[in-house]
Amino acid sequence: MSAAAIAICIVCQLLIVGGQLLLKHAVTEPTTVQPTALSARIRNFTLAIACLTLWFFLWLGLMRRWDLSKLFPFEGLNPAMIAIAAWLVLRERLPARAWVGLVLVCVGIALVARS
Amino acid sequence: MTAIAPPPPATSGAPLLVRWFLNPYVQIGFGAMTVTASEILMKAGANATASRPAVLAGWLGIAALMSLWTWAGIACYIVSFLSWIYVLRSVPLGIAYALINVAHVLIPVGSWAFLHEVINPTRWCGIALVVCGLSLLVGSVAKVEAKL
Repeated sequence: MSAAAIAICIVCQLLIVGGQLLLKHAVTEPTTVQPTALSARIRNFTLAIACLTLWFFLWLGLMRRWDLSKLFPFEGLNPAMIAIAAWLVLRERLPARAWVGLVLVCVGIALVARS
Repeated sequence: MTAIAPPPPATSGAPLLVRWFLNPYVQIGFGAMTVTASEILMKAGANATASRPAVLAGWLGIAALMSLWTWAGIACYIVSFLSWIYVLRSVPLGIAYALINVAHVLIPVGSWAFLHEVINPTRWCGIALVVCGLSLLVGSVAKVEAKL
């Protein structure tokens, strides 16, 4: 794969993580701790759709040029990056068991993708 | 910790099957299946248009929109997206996103079962690891829910 394709893959990862965080912010059920205002929800939702739309077309462009088996290992990173970002930004606390599960899922996806 | 809320009260009077379908964790499974379908359809659309000249910027896959497969893929993707929003309302993002990756197991196992594709030992190991990881995640979710 060319350097440009790898760079686009990295941009895709960032767009997915950013988009999912914004989406979670926008639609999560209001709690007493986090009563997000409606205007902020709409703004977050719009930004999330923008991130995910751009990701969609970049991904489609990559798929036209490269085999899915070459692109898929990058997908394996997603759950770990999302969980770390959710922990840092959304203050989601996962039990230790869930982190072990996450690592197994990521390694497993990478193996499925490489074979 | 983002609370794992019970399904919205609006569904409490609905038939059992509807209530089961609206369970966020069942929706994660439904979402994984529609995502699998959309990825395969979009890849078919991308393949069908690979020889066409690029439209606008070459690194955007806009030319793939010329194929009906791509549009079928987009339809599946929209359904999975609506389901995903419903899931995100009540399930922590880190857990929901990891669980929806069951799609990475469904695709090869589905191709093995229905298309008689061969799965090599490395791939079976990967599938086993993903299943182990998912069961740990589901177990930890049950623990979190029992605490609430």
